[in-house]
Amino acid sequence: MKKLMLCVLFLFSNVAFADFAIIVHPSNESSFDESVISRIYTGKEKSFSNGNTIIPISQDSKNPTTEQFNSKLLNKSASQLRAYWSKLIFTGKGTPPKELENDSEVIKMVAANPNTIGFVSASAVSDDVKVVLNF
Amino acid sequence: MKLQKLMLLGVFISGTSYAEINISGFASINAGKVLSGSGVPQYGVEPTFLADYPNVSGYTEDLSFSPESLIGIQVSGDLGEGLSVTGQIVARGVNDFDANFEWAYISYEINDNWTVQAGKKRLPLFYYSDFFDVGYAYVWMRAPADNYTWQVFNYEGINLLYSGSIGEWGVSANVYAGKEDDDDNKLLSDFFFQEPTREIWEDMLGGVLSLSHDWLELRVTHMQYTNKRFRSGEPVLWDGKDSRDGKFYGLAANFDFGDFFVLSELNRLDLDGNLDTYMISAGYRFDAITPYVMFSDFEQEGEGDTESHNTFAVGVRWDFHPSAALKMQFDRVKDDSFELAVAGDSKAITLGVDVVF
Repeated sequence: MKKLMLCVLFLFSNVAFADFAIIVHPSNESSFDESVISRIYTGKEKSFSNGNTIIPISQDSKNPTTEQFNSKLLNKSASQLRAYWSKLIFTGKGTPPKELENDSEVIKMVAANPNTIGFVSASAVSDDVKVVLNF
Repeated sequence: MKLQKLMLLGVFISGTSYAEINISGFASINAGKVLSGSGVPQYGVEPTFLADYPNVSGYTEDLSFSPESLIGIQVSGDLGEGLSVTGQIVARGVNDFDANFEWAYISYEINDNWTVQAGKKRLPLFYYSDFFDVGYAYVWMRAPADNYTWQVFNYEGINLLYSGSIGEWGVSANVYAGKEDDDDNKLLSDFFFQEPTREIWEDMLGGVLSLSHDWLELRVTHMQYTNKRFRSGEPVLWDGKDSRDGKFYGLAANFDFGDFFVLSELNRLDLDGNLDTYMISAGYRFDAITPYVMFSDFEQEGEGDTESHNTFAVGVRWDFHPSAALKMQFDRVKDDSFELAVAGDSKAITLGVDVVF
């Protein structure tokens, strides 16, 4: 019984807190912390510490990884984030990150373009990209 | 192989960038009515809740959808190499949904941080001025009416914009210069003077600095201009002169702790004396449901019967859909002036849906 409960707990926590990773192109030597990532994804940080223009890549807002990323790093719900971006879009002050459909699309894009940064579920990470932060 | 892929991607990007057109939009469908109100008997104004001064959105005791409902479409053409053109067409219920270009500007990104824009834009006097029409972007039914009272809200000119970060602070700043010549100013012509009034704000020069860090956001602004006015074609004289200078100062501070937030704004317009406004609001996010309270105030400095009004509001926003919010708000307005009365005391209820697309 105890075992079963542990199992259930483990399963539950796994579903609720599946890991995700921040990825960049393998050639990108810039340094990152949570605050930099948050500024990149809210349009406040425009270039990597190596000077290159950042192209942030997001995922469909309905993906669980996106929800986790938004709440953990941006501290915002999907609608708060949408409200935030609508205030920039309609005042000519910024455009939101490009949204791709899923992990493999993001990995493909980040592997192909040295100026991109993305987030994917930890299990999807491949050797084509470099992980800079794990959650 | 990798190189080929990269080249392909390059061709793809350069092949589409010069022709890329983005269309986005926003809409609000609001309805409301005055529950009780004094009106302004001395000026023949029936019980009215003036929800938006510049557009003269007035609710009366008859339920109406037209005062604040609007739809806006933004079309942006990316010409590549940092150059883009943007137009925003807004149709307001209060103007029988006649569509007008309210923003029309060309934008050039000098580099990652600096952008120069020229054309017709919103005058960024207040924190919410820029996105005043995009109800989805803020919590209330509308930006507090007592603060957002100025008859001129767009300008034609040039704007230099900085966006970036210093250390852990997000920094956004702009300086702008321009002019607005409004042939038939709505607030002055239709509401205050009831005769065709041409309102000119010229030699405008202003700056805005916004700083954000974690839960804190600060905004300071200053703008100066020269005001000229013609009522039924005749120049208005102030102390025997046909122009007067205005100076605007604004400070906004927002504190957002995730669930609990406080929003505040403090402004002064010095135009032959000080006109002071402030607003304070707080709310709490219970997932998709956000109840809030708000108080806003307008005071003209001076002795005797000066312009003076305030609003207490309580309401709730419900994010019932990923791109839509339902809002309901109760407003109680107190208008303490006689000669400078605006719309009298009122209690009003409004309900609406804001969407972005």
